[in-house]
Amino acid sequence: MAKGIKVLSNKSMSLNDQLVECKRPEIVYIPLVNHSKMDCECLVKVGDKVLKGTVIGRRNDNIDLPIHASVSGKVIGIEEKLYCNGEGVKCVAIENDFREKSVDLRGAKKNIASYSKDDFITILKECAVTGMGGGDFPTYIKYKSELNTIIVNAAECEPYITADYMMVKLHADEILEAVDAIMEINGIDKGIIAIKESNIEMRDEFIHYLGTYPKITITMVRNVYPIGWEKLLIKEILGIEYEKLPSDKGIVVNNVSTIYAIYKALKYRRPISKRIVTVTGERLQEPKNILIRLGTSMKNVIEEFGGYIGSSKIRFIAGGPMMGTCLDTDDLVVTKNLNCVLVIDDKDEADLPCIRCGRCIAVCPANICPVLIKDKVNDFESLKYLHPEKCIECGLCSYICPSKIRIRESVREAKKEIRRH
Amino acid sequence: MEFGFDNGPHLKDKDHTSKIMSRLLMALTPIIIFAVYKNGLLPYLEGYTNLYGMLKPLIIILLGVLTSITVEIIYFRFILNKKDNLIEEVKRSYALFPGLFVALTLPINTPLWLVVLGSLIATLIGKLLFGGLGHNIFNPALVGCLFVIASYGALIGARGGYLNPMEIDTIAGVTPLTNLSNINYVGTWSNIVKPFGSLRDFLLGFIPGSLGETSKILILLSFIYLAVTKVIKWVVPVCYVSVVFVMTFIIGTMNNIDIFYPLFHILSGGLLFGAVFMATDPITSPTTRIGQIIFGLGLGLLTVIFRFLSPYPEGVLTSILTMNMLVVIIDKIGAKAKFKKGYLNISLIVLLICIITFSIYIGYNLKSNTNKVDDRFNIIEIREENNKVIYEVTQKGFKGLIKANITIANDKIIDVDITSQSETYWMEMENQNYINRLINKQDDLENVDVVSGATISSNALKAMVENVLADYEVRK
Repeated sequence: MAKGIKVLSNKSMSLNDQLVECKRPEIVYIPLVNHSKMDCECLVKVGDKVLKGTVIGRRNDNIDLPIHASVSGKVIGIEEKLYCNGEGVKCVAIENDFREKSVDLRGAKKNIASYSKDDFITILKECAVTGMGGGDFPTYIKYKSELNTIIVNAAECEPYITADYMMVKLHADEILEAVDAIMEINGIDKGIIAIKESNIEMRDEFIHYLGTYPKITITMVRNVYPIGWEKLLIKEILGIEYEKLPSDKGIVVNNVSTIYAIYKALKYRRPISKRIVTVTGERLQEPKNILIRLGTSMKNVIEEFGGYIGSSKIRFIAGGPMMGTCLDTDDLVVTKNLNCVLVIDDKDEADLPCIRCGRCIAVCPANICPVLIKDKVNDFESLKYLHPEKCIECGLCSYICPSKIRIRESVREAKKEIRRH
Repeated sequence: MEFGFDNGPHLKDKDHTSKIMSRLLMALTPIIIFAVYKNGLLPYLEGYTNLYGMLKPLIIILLGVLTSITVEIIYFRFILNKKDNLIEEVKRSYALFPGLFVALTLPINTPLWLVVLGSLIATLIGKLLFGGLGHNIFNPALVGCLFVIASYGALIGARGGYLNPMEIDTIAGVTPLTNLSNINYVGTWSNIVKPFGSLRDFLLGFIPGSLGETSKILILLSFIYLAVTKVIKWVVPVCYVSVVFVMTFIIGTMNNIDIFYPLFHILSGGLLFGAVFMATDPITSPTTRIGQIIFGLGLGLLTVIFRFLSPYPEGVLTSILTMNMLVVIIDKIGAKAKFKKGYLNISLIVLLICIITFSIYIGYNLKSNTNKVDDRFNIIEIREENNKVIYEVTQKGFKGLIKANITIANDKIIDVDITSQSETYWMEMENQNYINRLINKQDDLENVDVVSGATISSNALKAMVENVLADYEVRK
């Protein structure tokens, strides 16, 4: 199995600024989306009054998860807006009344470690805690099985992004408190915080509070991409390989921002209504980390902070440079899983014929053969043994290609071909 | 603001195919310079050749490259009908390499028109007709080279083959591998290595061979440079050379030849050049790591088999072309082995069994070959008298045994005294002074003409002298 490679970090661009909060939006758009389900049920109609935390939609296929309003106000319509995967999705548009009135879910305990496991899972579900590193996968499902190890993923391996670092800088103590509570509630005896060895500052933030929690340790991981990928992270830290899910081996991996969302859920029984987004790139006036209300249009945020610079074409990317999606407009709604917006020059690099150097195979962390898959994109019989479905779309194959071929796209095609059969 | 689109990722590694190709060219530069020096400049400075001879290696290389580029330009312009960016297209196809490699794999005495033809075949048939850069199955240069050597080998041989003007006068007259094949693959330091100097000459490259292949030290340095800068798949040459070493070591040991034997095999002929520059050609070698291991092992196995069991002394060219054909299958195994370790284990076991079996088979075969010569030859007694060694020997002739006392002094036969014989046509041989001719030309027995009408008897005498000399060498 390949172990990841060092890529340019470009993190300093957004790093040293303080967190700023963008002004409260007039209208928020809450996408009726969770993880892979793009059309969740809408539970409100135009004209309804909603509060912060009102359930306005629900995912109810094989997974049950509510969708909450992030402001108080009035539902003014169901509109299609751009989601961070590049698709237009149905959103509930809520006109903000700026009263910040919340639904009160009573029963929050002072000691957040005193919940039972069942209560814990219910709270996570009712507060709709999902993976904030980009996955948007409901967190409560990860806690349904017997667990023995929790890994807090603070590796943040995508270049440019510093949202998690900012989160730790502001809330290291809350994060540790939440991890300790999670361990107590779930009977987990091993808590590990994974930090990249290059990020000494983040380690120091944690060390400041770590003495209170003897069961939690910090592990420094190599500064490579994609070390933040669960499978690679677990292999790196514990030396364990698993087939399908980490919970098969009793391991749970949560992003630091997700841990903070769990903290909020346990402490106040409230879903989060804001998140930190790294808004960066050489074409922005002021790259920085911004605390943004969920449902805000990115267009307004960028205008508020000085807009774009230069006049040539830009690339507007939802997510990091490696795995992010390029969008053709900046009218993107901020969601829980949007950790970065990157605006860079649109420089086109022509691709050359493949010289079959095999570098894409050598770097692939999912251990597949991108170039061979590219040769056989439409040949189902061959794809069966090439396993394109194992691709995690980390983009290293396209990154490393000396002929600048977009190999990941071919693998995506092959994935679709596999699904069709 | 205008929004561009790209599927991403939006960061790209700084390395580029064009940089890879320039590094390859850079690694080849010292080898080219040495080829020009050894085959042209040095003989000129030593007074063995004229100005043309001095420039000939350079001309061959330039001609190869120019042909290749011209062919590509014509092909792109007239066959593919590309009018815009023609130069850019040819540049992006790295047109110079097939021609350059063909030139480097050819002997110095190749006629210039043949260089052009070889380069043309390499570029056109080896590369362009397959669909151009990235689509060829066979290493283009080797296709051209195979065409030249297979079709016009004798012609080149007649013009001096691999020997530069200096070597024609000074060295045994053949390449080390041809020499090895002539003495039936077994021998000692003095008849395998010594005719060409020492292993140091092999390392430095002052032995006969094709233009690019001789300087092993430069090739090794290039290998390190190319492996570190990730231009080549370093696994391939490492596996390749290791297998050749192991196999020739086993073969050598079975025939009581010292450790120099495997080293001789590695440092002779095109092995290192082929392993580093030809077998690693990215387009025609496997892309998976496991595939590269299998490819390298297979190359080593085939090269040894071709060197020992085929009439051609050099096995590199043919083994690389053979393995090229199997790349698709090997890559399939490599891809499958990523998820099922069984594929790797089975192919490795099969290859290892082949490697060991063939080593032992070849080793045993050579042993019985040498014994066969001994069948007809018998040493009765060896005496030493005042710095002379006298062999009392018998050799089976046309009718019964020929007995003789052969005297050696200062490593040379000075007298052949026939003590008894019952040959039918003995008179013919005495009339033609055959024995004296054998003594006079004992260093070059192959070229002693037999006596017509007494072929078997004269061959028997020749063999007797040969056997005595061989035995004397071993004992010394």
